[in-house]
Amino acid sequence: MARQIRLTPLIGLGLALSAPLIALADSSDSARLGDIQYGNALDPRGWTPVLGAPDPNGMSRLHAGSLRTPSGTLYPAPSLFGEHILGDWHYSGLLEVGYTWLSGHDDALFVHQYNDWNKGLALGLLWLDAYKPETGDYLEFRGSRAGDDDQFYRARGGRYGSYKVEAFYRDIPHLISSNAYPIWDGVGSGNLTLPAGLSAGDSEPAAVAAASDAAPRRKIKVDRSRTGVSLEGNIARQWIAYASLTNEERNGTRLWGGPMFFNYPFANNGGIMETVRPIDFTTTDVSAGARFVGALWRFNAVYTGSFFRDHQDQLDFQSPFHLTPVTGSPPVSLVSRGQFSLEPDNDAHNLRLELSRSLPWSGELSLTGAVGTMRQDDNLLAPTTCQGRVGIDLSPGPNFTVDCADWNTSAALSQKSADARIDTLLLDARLSFRPLPELGWHLEIRHYDEDNKTDYLSYNPQTGEYGYISENGSQAAVVPGEIGIFDPRNPLYASYFGQIRAVPYGYSDTSAELGADWRIGARNTLSAAYTYDRNQPDYRERSQVDENRLALAWVSRSIADGTLRVSYDFAVRSGDGYDYFPYADFYSVSVPGFVPSPAALPFTVDAMRKYDLSNRKQNKFRAIFTHPVGDNATASTVLYGRYNDYSARVGRHGDNATGLMLQWDYQPLPSFTFGAYVGGEFGETRMSNVADAEAVVSADPHYGGAKYPYGNSWNETDKERNLNAGLNFARSFGRTRVDGAYSFVYARGQLDYDYATTAALAANQLPFASELSAFPDTHYRVHTVDLGITQAVTNELAMRLFGRYEFGDFDDWHYAGFDRSLSYDHRIYTDRGPGSHYDASLIGLMLQLKI
Amino acid sequence: MHARGKSAVVAVLRCAIVALAIGNMADSRAQSAADGYHYMLPDTDMGAGTSRGRSKTQASPAAAAAATPFERAAVAVNPQAPEAVPIGSATCIACHSQENLQFSHTLHARAFRAGAMGSSADRTCESCHGPGSLHAGSPTRPGAIIAFTHNSAIPVATQAATCLGCHAGGARQHWLGSVHEARGLSCSDCHNPMAKLSPEGLMAKNSISETCAGCHQDIRAKFNRRSHMPLPEGQMSCADCHNPHGSVTKPLLKTDTVNGTCYSCHAEKRGPLLFEHPPVRTNCLNCHDPHGSNQQTLLVAPMPMLCQQCHTMTRHPNDLQTPIGLGIGSAPDERLMGRSCLSCHANVHGSNNPSGARFHK
Repeated sequence: MARQIRLTPLIGLGLALSAPLIALADSSDSARLGDIQYGNALDPRGWTPVLGAPDPNGMSRLHAGSLRTPSGTLYPAPSLFGEHILGDWHYSGLLEVGYTWLSGHDDALFVHQYNDWNKGLALGLLWLDAYKPETGDYLEFRGSRAGDDDQFYRARGGRYGSYKVEAFYRDIPHLISSNAYPIWDGVGSGNLTLPAGLSAGDSEPAAVAAASDAAPRRKIKVDRSRTGVSLEGNIARQWIAYASLTNEERNGTRLWGGPMFFNYPFANNGGIMETVRPIDFTTTDVSAGARFVGALWRFNAVYTGSFFRDHQDQLDFQSPFHLTPVTGSPPVSLVSRGQFSLEPDNDAHNLRLELSRSLPWSGELSLTGAVGTMRQDDNLLAPTTCQGRVGIDLSPGPNFTVDCADWNTSAALSQKSADARIDTLLLDARLSFRPLPELGWHLEIRHYDEDNKTDYLSYNPQTGEYGYISENGSQAAVVPGEIGIFDPRNPLYASYFGQIRAVPYGYSDTSAELGADWRIGARNTLSAAYTYDRNQPDYRERSQVDENRLALAWVSRSIADGTLRVSYDFAVRSGDGYDYFPYADFYSVSVPGFVPSPAALPFTVDAMRKYDLSNRKQNKFRAIFTHPVGDNATASTVLYGRYNDYSARVGRHGDNATGLMLQWDYQPLPSFTFGAYVGGEFGETRMSNVADAEAVVSADPHYGGAKYPYGNSWNETDKERNLNAGLNFARSFGRTRVDGAYSFVYARGQLDYDYATTAALAANQLPFASELSAFPDTHYRVHTVDLGITQAVTNELAMRLFGRYEFGDFDDWHYAGFDRSLSYDHRIYTDRGPGSHYDASLIGLMLQLKI
Repeated sequence: MHARGKSAVVAVLRCAIVALAIGNMADSRAQSAADGYHYMLPDTDMGAGTSRGRSKTQASPAAAAAATPFERAAVAVNPQAPEAVPIGSATCIACHSQENLQFSHTLHARAFRAGAMGSSADRTCESCHGPGSLHAGSPTRPGAIIAFTHNSAIPVATQAATCLGCHAGGARQHWLGSVHEARGLSCSDCHNPMAKLSPEGLMAKNSISETCAGCHQDIRAKFNRRSHMPLPEGQMSCADCHNPHGSVTKPLLKTDTVNGTCYSCHAEKRGPLLFEHPPVRTNCLNCHDPHGSNQQTLLVAPMPMLCQQCHTMTRHPNDLQTPIGLGIGSAPDERLMGRSCLSCHANVHGSNNPSGARFHK
């Protein structure tokens, strides 16, 4: 059950608790998770208007050109800032407001994926910055509003070196589809009902198609609203305390599923629905900690808690499709409703302690320990919502029906709530020394453990049966006996092979690394590290997975005045024996009384190797070269590759990616910058699988055996090609500033397949084998052009006119045909996909007023 | 340009005058330093100066009693100029007026100067650049002062140690041994404390993400793909998930694990759930690329291929899917169309339904 956490009292409590902490400060932002960046698509930096005109004198009068980072990258030219004085306070600020017009395909997914710009008033930026030089007291504010669901406001205040208080509010939109046509009423709620004209469980496909055609277009989107306060400051000499409280509301909808058993093997049967689920989440995060920074010791202790609440426990949906027993016998009832449990409320706690001590020989010992727990105890839904009886009665033969009353209440559960819990433990120790300026070495040992304590038995105390009602009874309504229950006392169900207990997946991971680096002269460093990692998953196909990794790196500042960073990793992963079916203890076969069936089928093929556990050889490299060119340009190159080779006969064979990026930055003047880049990445993933011989009754799991013959094997390769290019410039002429950018993104995916024989095909596709062809390529191509001109009218007032023109095209075979129809026999889809082409223009006219 | 050149000439002349004066001061100050005289500076960030306590510029009793931490910051130690002594910011500014102009807009400047109010001479510059007498006397001598820019004679490790003299601990607790430290990055590769180039964090570029993209161009390019986190839209930055200063994970994540980071925004996935999907519980990256993907929802491969790399189970999961099963094909197949496997196994991240062992419910 959702237990709502109210924000206001908690924030009030947070502020109240902060009162005694008169001296708090630096938020150490880079340690904080989330809410580091505030911006939007109008201004991703979240303060670009403040940059204003560049200082014509640049950063220094003593150096030609722009200054560079140690690696050789140019620093941007600084801006001209001004400030006013009011009493003891110095302040500056900027207000940018205006109007934006969006035209063209203004509702296209890729125009609005994470922004809510539209036609209307927009607050580009409100920025205020005030400080008191004598005391170091300061206040900052930044706010922007691109649309109702796309805005942020953040205020900070405090005293430098003493304390800081921060509060923020932000809305982040996420458009998932702007091209959705759900047939149901109640979208956004937890109960989807069919519209007038459709009968639950008893509608013809043509009627469903008509309802789909008549359904209004809708947006599927989730809006994320976050509110938070944080404070930090000195509580004693060398001691800092900090605390934060954040509340997040997520509201909206997402595309979801809806199975009422297969349609593909049975024409005019089963039911597949793309439904829409509600999103109604609240997450409250708290943290509090203290740290000590001394000459020898550094210490940090922090508690973090996260409390997630889902205000919708379930999604119930009506299915329009009629289910027919494959035996031809009449159905005992209409199965017309499906149900999903949505995410349960959960709580998480984590306590982390970090301790570092400086040692002789420029050494340091750093210890980290963290204990955590994730828990949820939501009430469980009943195994089914069906009414009456469900299943197939083959009288005078077996009666494969069950009384729903035995299963549709919580009395059918072995436990009423989930009582799920995972405890975590992290231990990390790192010892490093630099006995000589030229030589350093380190040793690190890390252990992480996830202990899953969840234990759930699918057992109905009312009937004494194990298992559950599969797909809310729809499977049982189509195939005799496929109800999903196991009962050692009942010959009808004593051989049913199914999962009857939850598997408490967990793992531990222990690694040790020994590394060293040598400085060769002043400009070259070589380093090497060897890492051994042992992963021990619980209840998986392997109980131990070992990886040996050698990492080499070279950093050079001796090549053409540039900085070269090259790294290469070679890793070999192996492990103990691979058990293709390690789940026996959680299946009905483990229950006394299970009767092996002569018609039993293997769980899977024995040659399968899941890629997260299989043997693997990995080669990885990366080279980054930053090359200063003259006084005012930088050329940079990134070349990288990743090559994984899995020694699997069935499963993922390998994946790789190779890429090259080139970038040129040119800053001849503070008033003129130009940049250009081009790059590409090429990669592929290869796999194989084997279709089981469905007509063969055999329990043989062997690859090449009767059930998984070589003739049924097939291979697939997904090739991806990604290209990026773009340029940007900014030029100031007196009071006028012109800026622009162009970017091009192109991605192409190519899915190839081959097979030993057509027996690899799905049986329903076999009759059409003569039509076999290649998958259409997927592609995503976007051109974006930005242009802007800012004209200062006075020293305080400026106008900015800007525009963006974006056009692109998209194709993904998953949506092939959906532009014509979303209805296919007993399947009904909701999302037509992003559309094949779009173009949109955004024009904005903004007034900038310096405060 | 002409005006700028004129200003440069004036600045150089002022430098020459200052250099002559400093030459006379340096000897006596050097003697004072050798005697343990403490050149007190305004403190900086939290914990300011504490890590420098083991340097030769130990805090004096007067400093220990200072009112704000910025008053406790010590002059940085420059191993390449041990004879140099502090000269005060006013002297530095005589030549570096333009630097001072830009620096004055930064948090560093405001904090140091507030700390210096009414306590001592402002030696803000030297708290980072080290004692300036040698540099003032020989402005072009390499290593006379701690420089943080390209081709500095001061090793990167010394540059970083200087910054950590005040900024040790906290987010920098795991800097030593981090991949960025190992790759020889200086703090000033990512930060420019001398100018306000970014809204906060004194970044070396105009935003965090632009700074990271200076080296990680390929990762930045991934964010342009069809599905991505809202980084190009400015709603988040690299530093929302990663701590570039180091952490206890290889990819510099801020939490104990990859999943811990993902749960910070996707808390509903945390569970635990009654029925778990093991690769999901172990590592979200088994199926998702958080930086961007050409598939829906950041998936690393098209479905059903992604699922079929592990699922060979008897019956429906292991059939070869071909274009015949597309919506435009002769035998449309729900295992291929639309959401593919997820049309039925919608609770693929795990189900809390007692009938959800296969994530159907």
